[in-house]
Amino acid sequence: MNQIGDLVGVAWSGLKARKIRTLLIMLGPIIGVAAMVSAVGLTESAKGALQAQLSQLGTNLVIAQAGGTFGSQNPTFPSNAVQRVENVSTVTGASATSNLSGVISIPIQGASGYYQAFPVPVRAADDELPSVLQVPLLDGRWLSTADTRLHLRSVVLGEGIAKQYGYLPGETRTIRLNNSNFGVVGVLGAVALDPELDNAAFVTQWAAKHVLGTNGRPNQLYIRAVPGSTQATANAIPTAISLGGTNQVSTQIPTDILQAAAQANKTLQQVALLAGLLALTVGGIGIANVMSISVIQRSAEIGIRRAVGHSRSKIGAQFLLESLFVGILGGIIGAILGVAVVYGVSAFAGWVVVIAYREIPIWMGLALLVSVSAGLYPSIKAARLEPLETLRLG
Amino acid sequence: MSTQPFDTPPYGVPRTAPPGVLRTDGEPLLELENVSRVYGEEIEVYALRDVSLRILPGEFMSIVGPSGSGKSTMLGLLGVLDLPTSGTIRVAGQDVSTLDDPTRSKLRGNSIGFVFQQFHLIPHLTALGNVETALLYRDIAPRDRRERAYHALDQLGLSARADHRPVQMSGGEQQRVALARAIVTDPLMILADEPTGALDSANAAHVLDIFRSLESAERAVVMVTHDPTVAGTARRKVSMRDGRIVADEQRVEATT
Repeated sequence: MNQIGDLVGVAWSGLKARKIRTLLIMLGPIIGVAAMVSAVGLTESAKGALQAQLSQLGTNLVIAQAGGTFGSQNPTFPSNAVQRVENVSTVTGASATSNLSGVISIPIQGASGYYQAFPVPVRAADDELPSVLQVPLLDGRWLSTADTRLHLRSVVLGEGIAKQYGYLPGETRTIRLNNSNFGVVGVLGAVALDPELDNAAFVTQWAAKHVLGTNGRPNQLYIRAVPGSTQATANAIPTAISLGGTNQVSTQIPTDILQAAAQANKTLQQVALLAGLLALTVGGIGIANVMSISVIQRSAEIGIRRAVGHSRSKIGAQFLLESLFVGILGGIIGAILGVAVVYGVSAFAGWVVVIAYREIPIWMGLALLVSVSAGLYPSIKAARLEPLETLRLG
Repeated sequence: MSTQPFDTPPYGVPRTAPPGVLRTDGEPLLELENVSRVYGEEIEVYALRDVSLRILPGEFMSIVGPSGSGKSTMLGLLGVLDLPTSGTIRVAGQDVSTLDDPTRSKLRGNSIGFVFQQFHLIPHLTALGNVETALLYRDIAPRDRRERAYHALDQLGLSARADHRPVQMSGGEQQRVALARAIVTDPLMILADEPTGALDSANAAHVLDIFRSLESAERAVVMVTHDPTVAGTARRKVSMRDGRIVADEQRVEATT
């Protein structure tokens, strides 16, 4: 144990005695590890905000859309589509909406021309929509069964349309939909998974049918599945809805698109990783080079050590340990530097920092491996040196 | 295998011979028997030709001869830094040719203290660190090692220089540090190569005084030199020429 301690002390003092040289050969592992850590860190962090959002949204939402047989207009689902979907065992919640086309919406009394030219999409929705979407209400409340029972003409605005209409929180506002007055009861928060909903106004299915004069059949379903079985659920839904009938159903997992968008640029990552690997390799060659020269420069020291009784293997171990320390220290400094670069650039670019800390030991281990293999040849050379030749006797 | 570290008793405490090492008076510490050292393969050059020599405990001897006489080769062989082409070298009774490198290195570290003309201190280590180098890899606790190294420096009047690096010291001081490194392991034999060659006369005289003071009944001191003054200090003078010993004289001391 003491002998290992002695060896560590000797190797350490050898590195400490030549600080500049040590730092220079450490640059290889430092740059290599820093490049690899920051390469992965930066490419991931560039998409960090999306990734964070994604993990918040959950990836288990399925949107089912009614698709008509070719050529048919305004295809719809059966009115009990929600119950049919909920028969699928992996479905945890479902909500139906229907698009009402051509509804003219006027935000305030007296406003007309401009708003008539740009109709707002109006959606009939059931009570469950916010809970299935997992989106909070920014203001007021969602449509309720009371609205249906009492035949209230309530409307909830999407976040975007609330802004456009200049709706203030808590304000009592009446808007006109196809010449009928509707009272605004709430504002739905932004729906990241289906941004179309942000620009819609929501009414009850009763109002859609009886006030706005549509058939009230749903044509779009929002479905939450058991996490992990999203795709299977999406595959099962068309059958569950049509039950062998003629209904055409197309399903979509909105997070798939987001997920693709949140995917870090793998090609860039690989190129940067390759550059890091290259830096490490070149660094390794540098270590081998400098250490070889160092062995020649320190031949007198080696001769002295041999004369006072250090064996060949101890001399070899001394030099190998020096390169081991270079690899360890270079790896640690490189990792710190790489993390610092990721934090620095992310702060500057406004990214959410994503660092795969679990991968860092791999890069550090790689730096260690390269350093030790680079030190192998010089160490063997040092061990083989003949003390008689280096001491210049006589 | 008598490779037990020779330094188990703390420095300064009267030592007893470790088991297995021959220390009996009259038994040679080091013995060369018909030793030849040949360099070159196609053209053989005899650096040493059929040399026999016995070095006994308590001897103070010099090996002299012109350059090319085989002094350096002799030094390498006596110091177990080199092996003979033919013949036998025994250190403390052990045939060095039969030992592997770790054992031979240990034997060298335990039995022989080197002093070189160019001092050969490790430049990045302090005086203390240089002396400690001789005590490494012997399972000595760092604190004990430091203490013993400091004691050796103190013996040679260098305690104030313990933290100095070689470049911060004069030649005489550096050679005394080298001497401290040689004696700190309490070796059987001090082997010096032209120890005053790089020193001015005052420092040379001082170093020679120290060599004289290192004489003991158990330890041999061997100086390889071409300087008659240095050679004259020793009680036994071995002269070499063309790879052979040509004279082996004992200086008769007038005892009063």
